[in-house]
Amino acid sequence: MIRQQRFLLALIALIVCGALIVVTPIGKQFGFGKVNLGLDLQGGTQLTLQVKPTEEVKNIDDQVMAAVQSVVANRLDPEGVSEISVQATSNQQILVQLPGVSDPKEAAKLLSQVAKLDFRRPNNAKVAQLNVRQSELRKLLAQQEQTEKEGNKEAIEKLNIDIKQKEQQVADLRSQYYEKTNLTGEDLRNAGYSPSQGQPDLWDVTLQFDPDGGRKFAELTKSIAGTRQPMGIFLDGKVISEATVEEKFKENGITGGAAVITGNFTLEKAQLLANQLKGGSLPVPVTIEEIRTVGASLGQESIRQSIYAGLGGLVLVLIFMVYYYRLPGLIADIALCIYGLLTFAAYVLLGVTLTLPGVAGFILSIGMAVDANILIFERTREELRDGKTLYRSIESGFYRAFSSILDGNVTTLIACAALYWLGSGLVRGFALTLGIGVVVSMFTALTCSRTLMFTAIGFPSLRKPELFDAKRAKVVS
Amino acid sequence: MKLNVNKQRGLWWSLSGAVILAGVIAMALSWNEFKAPLRPGLDFLGGTRLQLERDCRQPGNCDLPIDVADIRQVLQEKNLGANNIQILGKEKQAVAIRTPPLDEASRNDLKDALTKKLGKLDANKSQIDTVGPTLGRQLFTSGLLALLLSFLGIVVYLTFRFQLDFALFAVVALFHDLLVTVGVFSILGLTQGVEVDSLFIVGLLTIIGFSVNDTVVIYDRVRENLKLTPHLSVAETVDNAVNQTLGRSINTSLTTALPLVGIFAFGGETLRYFALTLMVGFVAGVYSSVFIASTLLTWWRERQGQGRGGYNSTVLNSNSALSDASPEEL
Repeated sequence: MIRQQRFLLALIALIVCGALIVVTPIGKQFGFGKVNLGLDLQGGTQLTLQVKPTEEVKNIDDQVMAAVQSVVANRLDPEGVSEISVQATSNQQILVQLPGVSDPKEAAKLLSQVAKLDFRRPNNAKVAQLNVRQSELRKLLAQQEQTEKEGNKEAIEKLNIDIKQKEQQVADLRSQYYEKTNLTGEDLRNAGYSPSQGQPDLWDVTLQFDPDGGRKFAELTKSIAGTRQPMGIFLDGKVISEATVEEKFKENGITGGAAVITGNFTLEKAQLLANQLKGGSLPVPVTIEEIRTVGASLGQESIRQSIYAGLGGLVLVLIFMVYYYRLPGLIADIALCIYGLLTFAAYVLLGVTLTLPGVAGFILSIGMAVDANILIFERTREELRDGKTLYRSIESGFYRAFSSILDGNVTTLIACAALYWLGSGLVRGFALTLGIGVVVSMFTALTCSRTLMFTAIGFPSLRKPELFDAKRAKVVS
Repeated sequence: MKLNVNKQRGLWWSLSGAVILAGVIAMALSWNEFKAPLRPGLDFLGGTRLQLERDCRQPGNCDLPIDVADIRQVLQEKNLGANNIQILGKEKQAVAIRTPPLDEASRNDLKDALTKKLGKLDANKSQIDTVGPTLGRQLFTSGLLALLLSFLGIVVYLTFRFQLDFALFAVVALFHDLLVTVGVFSILGLTQGVEVDSLFIVGLLTIIGFSVNDTVVIYDRVRENLKLTPHLSVAETVDNAVNQTLGRSINTSLTTALPLVGIFAFGGETLRYFALTLMVGFVAGVYSSVFIASTLLTWWRERQGQGRGGYNSTVLNSNSALSDASPEEL
């Protein structure tokens, strides 16, 4: 019995240390993040986009959603650097979160356009010009070495200016390198990716045009086959891929309306490009269903107020427990602090995004955690008043309260599961924090309180009934 | 002092009945006015809500409180009609405006016009929400579904752990708590203009978990007492169970209420009515557990002819094994 207690005590100490490591800055060195704050707490803009089916795309499946998602993410954050999050949710909606953005004007503008995919070919005149300018540039660069050897400062400077000019001309021509063709995303029926033949770990992107698009594509490829000049694939005016066409297609172009882009793609890159192509090829209208903007300091104010409220409530609960339940109350308070720590660590480990309702769920779960302790101590008191020994009373207090703690918590968990499963956004965050709270509180009430309690009554000086029951103390004295 | 809940059950039932009736009447009146049992907020109606605050770092910007008439004038110029305008804050330097759904352009247009009228606004303290009407409906239906699903889950679980009649009356008590809460907010909506938003749905769903928790604690004791004192009548058994758990019921309500009172008093604007929702629900929950769920169970068992002592305890045997067995010898 005592050995078991020591073991549990060590286990609790271990878990508490682990939780401390997770939540403190030390945890960052081990790769644990911070608790993510929802937009309502850190300020920012949240948009809900509704994807609408069209004549051609009547059924919006996961593939379509993935395509739209990738286009949205690309438009808002072409470099993929900011902390935006784009999630597909149920009901064919896409949830976009832009932390720190208090003016969603730009984002809304970007999103209200329909993605445009088109294929472009090199503009022969410009290509010719570019070639001339490039060879001129090469000549100038060759001269530079010679001039520098001669050491004539004026000549060097003049040459440098000339080179700069030439470089500018080359860059200008480069940007005009492509000219539009009549082949656009509307001609593309589908895009996908498949493993490269003979090259493990590398992937190709496959294209499938409709008959009309197939003809246009054949024409385009015929014109550039074997020239080593690439065609450009543009999404919203930005080049997303360039591909050359092999010599063998010079006769007829790539016919049959299907093509493969081999470019040593990794799986992710191939997926991305296929999604971009599909996204561009799918003119599914996207409407902005909801915009919520919270100013940054408004969010901070909410945090501060909620934290004060929570801490205030918690302190009152702690005081009440010690006042009413004496020594067990103190032990419950310690268990409660462990509870708070473990719950917070669970948020970090599970990557919970803490929203305002989530904070409320946490504060509320404190109440639930206390409830389990109250059930146990009320029962212990009853047993004491029935004349049982202290040890037996505590033991049966824990034992007999167990069934109601279990049943009560399981029913709450059932409600949480229903909320999490069917709810979205706010509701989900709340259900998750409450659910975590319920599970952790079962552990702290049944294991921590119990072990600490038995450790405490191991000290003879703490084995006095008046430390357990105020009424009894009066009788004794 | 012993509380004989079963003796005065007529009183408890009529008390609940009166509160629920008042709520239902309020819901009927609300239906007449808003086409909904409660005053629906932005989340359910759809529209745009702008909360703006003056930038008080600008000298002279905040000398005068914001005048509703100024804002009404701006709104009328923009053809947005007489809208819901609310001046916020102690210094009356903030305002909340409700309009029909505005797109990006007209929103900015309105903001510019208001800036001209009111002076520079603090972007960090503004909050702008635009909600399409479908979103609220989705939230409502998913909330309703979650409600039904959790009802079902709770009935199945309690039937498994207790018995079917326990489970059904626990759900009746639950329904009672939800009705009381919705009723109270319906009355508040009519008299105080309190609107319900998506957090209200979250609140209702939380009440489910807590209300059943309360009821289960008492039922757990009834289950145990039925086994320990089979010679007592159902009414006595239930009375005993209620009294034995009364201390816990009161203390738990107190400890859950403390953080809620904290949020209600000091928490942000958004959470205030959320805390109130929970408080109403929890009070109703404790009441219904102590006075309604218990007496309904007695009433039902008496009707079934199990009111006398000598209740067949073998029926409960398999389920009550946990609470019945004595703790392991030490």
